Amino acid sequence: MARDLLLVVEIPGSQPMAPAQRCPLCRQTFFCGRGHVYSRKHQRQLKEALERLLPRVEAARKAIRAAQVERYVPEHERCCWCLCCGCEVREHLSHGNLTVLHGGLLEHLASPEHKKATNKFWWENKAEVQMKEKFLVTPQDYARFKKSLVKGLDSYEEKEDEVIKEMAAQIREVEQSRQEMVRSVLEPQAVPDPEEGSSAPRSWKGMNSQVASSSQQPSNLDLPPAPELDWMETGQSLTFIGHQDIPGVGNIHSGATPPWMIQDEYTSGNQQIGPSYEEFLKEKEKQKLKKLPPDRVGANFDHSSRTSAGWLPSFGRVWNNGRRWQSRYMFNARSPTYPPNLLFGDVTLLPVNPLFPFRHQFKNEAAAMKKQSHREKS
Amino acid sequence: MSFLLPKLTSKKEVDQAIKSTAEKVLVLRFGRDEDPVCLQLDDVLSKTSSDLSKMAAIYLVDVDQTPVYTQYFDISYIPSTVFFFNGQHMKVDYGSPDHTKFVGSFKTKQDFIDLIEVIYRGAMRGKLIVQSPIDPKNIPKYDLLYQDI
Repeated sequence: MARDLLLVVEIPGSQPMAPAQRCPLCRQTFFCGRGHVYSRKHQRQLKEALERLLPRVEAARKAIRAAQVERYVPEHERCCWCLCCGCEVREHLSHGNLTVLHGGLLEHLASPEHKKATNKFWWENKAEVQMKEKFLVTPQDYARFKKSLVKGLDSYEEKEDEVIKEMAAQIREVEQSRQEMVRSVLEPQAVPDPEEGSSAPRSWKGMNSQVASSSQQPSNLDLPPAPELDWMETGQSLTFIGHQDIPGVGNIHSGATPPWMIQDEYTSGNQQIGPSYEEFLKEKEKQKLKKLPPDRVGANFDHSSRTSAGWLPSFGRVWNNGRRWQSRYMFNARSPTYPPNLLFGDVTLLPVNPLFPFRHQFKNEAAAMKKQSHREKS
Repeated sequence: MSFLLPKLTSKKEVDQAIKSTAEKVLVLRFGRDEDPVCLQLDDVLSKTSSDLSKMAAIYLVDVDQTPVYTQYFDISYIPSTVFFFNGQHMKVDYGSPDHTKFVGSFKTKQDFIDLIEVIYRGAMRGKLIVQSPIDPKNIPKYDLLYQDI
């Protein structure tokens, strides 16, 4: 009985110690085990975090119905932190010059991984179940968003077209007004005004007759320079050296070579410093060759060696039973009756050279040739 | 198709091709341009030549124009394809009687590509004879005669 009492009695006021756990939401370590999520502090932190996230999500939801397309501005690179997935999500989707407002966030909210992460987050942090729906976007909503996006793109294009048309109309207006001004200046030429008696209107008239004789297009260019010429001639104080143009030789304006680039003084020999382009390419090839395995077939084959007309590559023939180079030797040394006609006796398949019956004893052709020449000498 | 691949017309040109092709498999197709099986083979070769350009160099040789090589390589059936690497002839065991050359056409482009790759890898390792990766069903069958026996 006493033992039973001991078992029943608990020390009030203290919880059993759980292993240390970190709550990412509160950014704190706690030792209460699963009790932490129900504490007031945690719930408060949770509410604040969700309140921070909610306006962004609501703005994105509004965009489902009426997707807006705007011109790209660097501010559109802004990212939003998704609480449930624990990752940064680009808020607006941009492609080229255009941006879809809230496109990125909507895409993320509609994705299945986000849904899973949200469910997990809600379960672990014991948040209010009704709130969860607000942070999710169903695939149907996403489809609706895409439709409105298409409409949004169309309306954006229309807007752009309108803007361009307006600008064109404005330009036309300005052009019109200028033309009118020119015409109005030309007309009073026929009416001589005795009240204006200085040289200025005379020069105007002279210029006007010039304008009337020439075509109308450069007329608006002629108007400003004429009065300016008058002013320049009266302010003469610079000395005149003479026209610096020699007909044959070019100058800086015609794009001739500058005097310091002309090479006909000392350096007439080898102008180049360093290896030429071909040598550089060859060096690159050699570098590549070094990387190849050294025991590959024909590694020491001299590609550039001169060969006589009788050169044949080393070819291992079908019926031979000796070394590879022997096939070439046999081919070269074949008698006029090659290939042998076996139907009439002669058991041996290979044409044996009576001078050299045991050629296979030599490891390579060089040794065989040496022996042959030695034999020929003796 | 045969006009897409470079042709060699004399012994000297073949010699030069064999000697100058460096660190790449040299493929010499011996045959005649008009022969139907040759046309098939040429089609496969020309379609794969650009993909294999870093591993192989492909040339066409007319058997009538280079009698020396026709005899030397003992070419009795056309088309025959001979493989070289750095001037050294590569033998391939196809499962057929003749290991020195490939007689006939390839069934698919992939067969040819696999074969070139196997030859290249074998050559890099220093092997003078390699095992063909082509399915024996796809290798053309022929009888190798020695002087009408």
